[in-house]
Amino acid sequence: MEINMIKDKINQVLVGILEHDNFEIHDELTAKDVDGWDSLSHMMIITKIEEEFGIRFKLRELNKLKNLGSLVSLIQSKA
Amino acid sequence: MLFNSFNFVAFIIPVLFLYWFVFKKSAVYQNIWLLVASLFFYAWADWRFLVLLITSTLINYYLGLKIYQSEDDDRRRNTFLYVGLIFNVGLLLYFKYVNFFYEGFYDLLNLFGADLSYNTLQILLPLGISFFTFQTLGYLIDVYNEEIEPGKDLLEFSVFVTFFPKILSGPIERASGLMPQIQKKRRFEYDVFVDGLRQILWGLFAKIVVAENCAVLADLVFEDYQNQPASTLILGTFFYAIQLYADFSGYSNMAIGVGKLFGIKLMRNFATPFFSTNIADFWRKWHMSLTTWMMDYVFTPLSFVLRRRQKQGLMISIVITFILVGFWHGANWTFIAYGFLHGMYFIPLVYSGKMNTEHIVAKGKWLPTLKEISKMLFLFVLIMITDVFFRAANVSEAFDYLGRILSSTIIDFPIALINGTALTTLLLILIFVSVEWINREKTHDLEISKYPAVLRWGFYTIIFVLILFFGRSAETFIYFQF
Repeated sequence: MEINMIKDKINQVLVGILEHDNFEIHDELTAKDVDGWDSLSHMMIITKIEEEFGIRFKLRELNKLKNLGSLVSLIQSKA
Repeated sequence: MLFNSFNFVAFIIPVLFLYWFVFKKSAVYQNIWLLVASLFFYAWADWRFLVLLITSTLINYYLGLKIYQSEDDDRRRNTFLYVGLIFNVGLLLYFKYVNFFYEGFYDLLNLFGADLSYNTLQILLPLGISFFTFQTLGYLIDVYNEEIEPGKDLLEFSVFVTFFPKILSGPIERASGLMPQIQKKRRFEYDVFVDGLRQILWGLFAKIVVAENCAVLADLVFEDYQNQPASTLILGTFFYAIQLYADFSGYSNMAIGVGKLFGIKLMRNFATPFFSTNIADFWRKWHMSLTTWMMDYVFTPLSFVLRRRQKQGLMISIVITFILVGFWHGANWTFIAYGFLHGMYFIPLVYSGKMNTEHIVAKGKWLPTLKEISKMLFLFVLIMITDVFFRAANVSEAFDYLGRILSSTIIDFPIALINGTALTTLLLILIFVSVEWINREKTHDLEISKYPAVLRWGFYTIIFVLILFFGRSAETFIYFQF
């Protein structure tokens, strides 16, 4: 899948769950930079991404994610 | 050896002097000296368990390396991880929880009419075991998840486990934060050193002035709660809630401050937790090294497994995580009840989706709004309720205590607490809370390095005088028993 499409979808997921769009999607973006993206909302975001792309993550893959860029590549490798 | 004892002063001055003047040549020298000092410190507290601490260090060092070296062999990796989990959790279970399960087992049989009697096993609790075991557990899991490389140098790894400021009661350090600091040579930085002293001063004030004065009043009420009117019981809970916070945050500030004297920055453990408007926010700021540990190693895997159940899965994960947070404190149903209540407090937040709020109340302003004040007060009441469980000898005593609050004596004059000590303590709490409020956006509770010198020194003098006049001797810290 094309990278920009993946980023668009992630953007939609984040807006849907966090109920705001005070962030800009870029590769270096981390959860810390986004209001409300914390350990509690994280799993809901992950689940929604799995649904949207029809993929399944492993916990070990998630533990290794460093920023949005690495999430995009992980999705790309699966979708 | 308590931080607030003359023994400790007599220990720390020569240790610091030699660290910065004799062993300053390289990280290796510094680490050798830190290890010697740390083992001495631990042995002073309880020499009988020194062997246990050393054995645990060696075994975890070996397992970390083995997990890493078995990179391509998943079965071997898993085996070494499981051995590590069993070893560390086993240590905790044996020393801390064996009597709890043993008694529970007999009680269960007796419930079905077995009529068995039992003797409690005499097992001494090694000091700091809940803290250093969690640290090594986290370390092994991080190595397994390939988030960090293992400590390849035994000396460095030993300092990571035993570093004396945090060995008895945390903060529960992470390898990713502490190891890199141990691996390189520490250079003396005046600002960090002075900031450490400042943090120690504030910790000392919190502990021997605020916590110890509150303790006198809380003990008075809790030890005779059956003869006290509801109004006194409420005040007793109030003083205990402040005591618990001042005791442990005071300890943590001293531990972190002592770390800074050696050029080592330990994790922040408290960030003015009572200035929170909801329970999620409170736990982001209360005993942070334990909460983040539980989040990473219990909550995240659990909520991952249960993620298809959406909010329900999230809720189950939160409640289980907090029951474990409670149980971590000790083998008593009171702690389980404490954790369970905290977990339940999250339910409205999870279902309303409002757990993500501003972490700093009234950011950039002098005072909070009325709405913020009422939210903080409401949260404080919720926490006071759980603290009754934390303090009580058993669950039925806690229920009895809380039941007595719901009586007509709530309007009685709290006569037992109308005395000089109570009024002075309230005043001291006011000073304590005000300073914490002013510094709530800072990196610690007394981060006043930017203030003009006159103000800073005026401040130190006031705190010093308060310690002299109102400080009480303290024999222990609440968290030493965990």
